[in-house]
Amino acid sequence: MQQTYKILVVDDETDLEPLILQRMRRDIRAGRYEFVFAHNGVEALERLNEDEGIDMVLSDINMPQMDGLTLLSQIPDVNPDIRSVIISAYGDMKNIRTAMNRGAFDFVTKPLDFSDLRVTIERTLQRVMEWREALSTRDQLVALQNELDVASAMQQSILPSGFPDGPTFQSFGHMVPARNVGGDFFDILQLDRGRVGLTIADVSDKGVPAALFMMSSRTLMKGAAIGTESPAEVLREVNALLFDDNDASMFVTVLYAVYDPATGELTYSSGGHDAPLIVRADGSSTLLPLTGGVVLGIVPDFPFEQRTVTIAPGDTVVLYTDGVTEAMNSNRDEFGIARLQQVFATAPPRDSQEANRTVFEAVSSFAGDTPQSDDVTCVTLQRREPAS
Amino acid sequence: MEITTERKGDVLVALTEDRVDGSNAREFQESVQAAIADEDCPVVLDMERLVYISSAGLRVILMIARSLQGEKRNFAVCSLVGPVREVFEISGFDKIIQTHDTQEQAVTAVQG
Repeated sequence: MQQTYKILVVDDETDLEPLILQRMRRDIRAGRYEFVFAHNGVEALERLNEDEGIDMVLSDINMPQMDGLTLLSQIPDVNPDIRSVIISAYGDMKNIRTAMNRGAFDFVTKPLDFSDLRVTIERTLQRVMEWREALSTRDQLVALQNELDVASAMQQSILPSGFPDGPTFQSFGHMVPARNVGGDFFDILQLDRGRVGLTIADVSDKGVPAALFMMSSRTLMKGAAIGTESPAEVLREVNALLFDDNDASMFVTVLYAVYDPATGELTYSSGGHDAPLIVRADGSSTLLPLTGGVVLGIVPDFPFEQRTVTIAPGDTVVLYTDGVTEAMNSNRDEFGIARLQQVFATAPPRDSQEANRTVFEAVSSFAGDTPQSDDVTCVTLQRREPAS
Repeated sequence: MEITTERKGDVLVALTEDRVDGSNAREFQESVQAAIADEDCPVVLDMERLVYISSAGLRVILMIARSLQGEKRNFAVCSLVGPVREVFEISGFDKIIQTHDTQEQAVTAVQG
């Protein structure tokens, strides 16, 4: 449907109104233009105040009460996005200059040449439309950026600030968010009987709804981890709770593991998340088998399973998100778990923080200048020899 | 994003290619939905030429599966290779979405 543009004509001479209505009748009938009239600057400002739908102003210069030049300087206070065209006497360069300096978009001269006036109106309206489009694009970008900022702040706010350690283990976690926010989070919890709960997760979407989903996931994980001993049972509970209120088909991949320093046993369960890597003191490493789970939040009830492995002193458990394995270089090669294993083979980690740093350095040196497209997150836990 | 479709008997086969990640997931969704709308037959998404899918892409597959389920139309994916197969296995999507090794198997399965 064609848009109707509303044009405010300001002139104290009453013969202009019927003349415009007559000469522009075809455009008016076609619904292209609608004219409203005012007879001096004061009246014009009133019209503009009353009617936000006015797209442009066509104004004479010499008028009683408030002239066109004064009107020009006041229009921006009422509506800064309006464009004005001035009607001046032929050859009156002084007033034309003043009008242009005060922000007039263009001018036409008396006696009015209506085909020229039509061209001038069209040109002005086009500029008004372009300007509005630019404003709306800018607003959208600002809104989008605000949303991403909110989501990013939420994501940062749920990361733990301290990492549990003990005489026979230390833990560490780190995340580097992608510029436009992925959905990673992690948590390292001190549980009862000295046990430690390790969570690493990746939410499937970005933006505020995904960040809210992330916050629920993290809170539910924490609650379940504290109340429930078995990792598989924790995932089963959290999955059922997330499913209950999830119309948006969002989901989260979670790897949840419990480490017991008393036995050196690591029990883990995967909710559609990448398998843990165990790096030994000599730098060799093994990818643990998956536990046959699914991502959390989309199946009403799922029997998650778990596995237990015993890790030796000097071994480091490495949990990571796909931001690590799927980091790309300029050839669009993926970093992959094998490259990470190679890096550890040449640089066995001395502690959990170093293991963590090794992962980030390896990813970043592989990616080079290629921008990071997803969050990169890594959680590490090393079993240590007890101090003698 | 290019989605080619072809009819195999009563079944609509949509062929995906290249990569689906966060940057084009929405476009991927619109393309697939456009390709399978205006029909009421079963759908097979052939992924033989898809080289990468991220979790954002998986979410699109899930939404398509759900909307087809709502229309009582059968849906399967087939011919997953390399990283895409791996992502399906790790995420457990192969347990949620009907997955077949070949297009023929998928077409036969959704017709039933």
